[in-house]
Amino acid sequence: MVSYREVKPGGKPFKRAYVAVMLWFVGRAVQAAARVDRAVAREFDDLPDSFTFCLGVEPRGPFMVVGKSKKGRVKYLGWNPAGKEIDLAMRIQNMEAAILLFTFQENNALSACRNRITVDGDIPAACAMMRVIDIVEVYLLPKMIARLAIKRYPSWSFRRKYLGRIRIYFRSVLGY
Amino acid sequence: MFLPNEYEFSCFVKINSGTRALEHLPHELDALNARKPLIVAGKDVSKEGHVRKLMSAFRDSGMTIGVCDDISGPFDAPLIEAITNLYRNKDHDSIVAVGSGSIVDVAKVLNVSVSYGGRTLRELAGKNGIPNPLDPFIFVPTAGGDGYETSRYAEIEDMKFSSDFLMPDLVVIDPRMVTSRDTRIIVATAMTALAHAVEAYTSPAKNHITDIYAHAAIKYVAEYLIPVVRHPADRDGSCALANAACMAGCVVSDMTMGMAHILGETIGAMFGITPGICMGIVLPYTVAHRALHFGARTADLILPLAGFDDCAKISPSLSDAVAVTMMIDLQHELNGQTHGGIPRTLEEADVPPYMLQDIAERCITDDLPGYTYSDYLTVVKQAWEGSPAMNG
Repeated sequence: MVSYREVKPGGKPFKRAYVAVMLWFVGRAVQAAARVDRAVAREFDDLPDSFTFCLGVEPRGPFMVVGKSKKGRVKYLGWNPAGKEIDLAMRIQNMEAAILLFTFQENNALSACRNRITVDGDIPAACAMMRVIDIVEVYLLPKMIARLAIKRYPSWSFRRKYLGRIRIYFRSVLGY
Repeated sequence: MFLPNEYEFSCFVKINSGTRALEHLPHELDALNARKPLIVAGKDVSKEGHVRKLMSAFRDSGMTIGVCDDISGPFDAPLIEAITNLYRNKDHDSIVAVGSGSIVDVAKVLNVSVSYGGRTLRELAGKNGIPNPLDPFIFVPTAGGDGYETSRYAEIEDMKFSSDFLMPDLVVIDPRMVTSRDTRIIVATAMTALAHAVEAYTSPAKNHITDIYAHAAIKYVAEYLIPVVRHPADRDGSCALANAACMAGCVVSDMTMGMAHILGETIGAMFGITPGICMGIVLPYTVAHRALHFGARTADLILPLAGFDDCAKISPSLSDAVAVTMMIDLQHELNGQTHGGIPRTLEEADVPPYMLQDIAERCITDDLPGYTYSDYLTVVKQAWEGSPAMNG
């Protein structure tokens, strides 16, 4: 006689909550950076109007959605991609991979190399969004941590880095 | 580089190895259109907590999984039939085998059984008896694997199956699953991988793709075996050895089994010694014998065994002998590290000298034509005494 049982493994609520907060803040920071940083603005300028980008964790989220309006304004569109027309979806394969990424144990490029991120959409647009996220991480994180999160830490002027950081944090918290 | 006049190679196996590799499973299953896997594992694996680790990798996936984790012998047709009924009644669509050896054979044959309703296993047994792809099959090795798990072969009772479709679609090698404290298990796994890889690397059926797999497998064993025997908790080293076993298993599918494999299996079965340990003992002597009498390209082994720098220092006239000596040295080092736990010769393995002729007789099989009774007897005698016949 062979014993058999059916199991529905539970979730990872704490890790899920952590990643959700990170995605929420990064989403708002992308919106802020598009208004504060020229390089980020240029990346979005090259993308078509009404472009919508989603980054999240397979299979059940959390997600963040960032979109560009018809007038070219970049906006954080919330955590739920359902019902939105997504042009580019970047999905992290599982929660553990997301934790590696958002605890900066693995940088974006390495994570992509290790096949932890799948891209559904235009590859040049995905590369542009990765560059945007790299820039946002430089703004949001202290140098010591940001060096772990991105492939190469940029050399920016004092004004761009610190003034930009203050403005992006301010806008991200206030959400405009 | 060696270019064969003609060759064929096929390997369907995708390998997913490294830290948190298990957590990729739900995504990989999804890619294979599988939503409800059945986990198949033995009692021992379950006791060690490996099934629990595997199940935790499915957390947050939303999948429902079936678990049969107390499978024990006899591994026979009624057992397969019982699990087949469970699989069908509970609407499973894929198999995840955890463990090594017989339990993986059970999973492979189970896959044949669930994919071919209406035909008996006996009808499907034999060489290339399975004409179509089977359900998705994923293999998660634990310590003690010998690499056959990845191969195109499976055996239940007296039925032998051989088909490319038996190879796993995916092998997930996670350091959490493959570490073991038992040095004998570590050595047996590594030496089986080394024997298969060395035989593939020096076989007349070799080609540039099998060379890539075999080269990496030999290199991993040469580099990581001694450190892992010294520190069995070394996860990176254990992972490297599991990779070596997996890659050696892949090339085995494209070759006939070699002399060391046949001798290791035969001696193991006759005297109750782990076949991997026997393969380690006889390997240098089979290599020396094949270099001397069959012109095998033994010198090629020095590069993966010793690395580029040491390889460049060795005189070409001595290279055959050096490769054999390196393998004997490895065996001696293992013996030293385990305080005599790993025998260096068949004499130390308590094989009685009057049984050597019996061993040679039993090794004559239809599977490996070309080697005679006297070939086997010569090698077994040398392995008993610990003195290889070498050029140079």
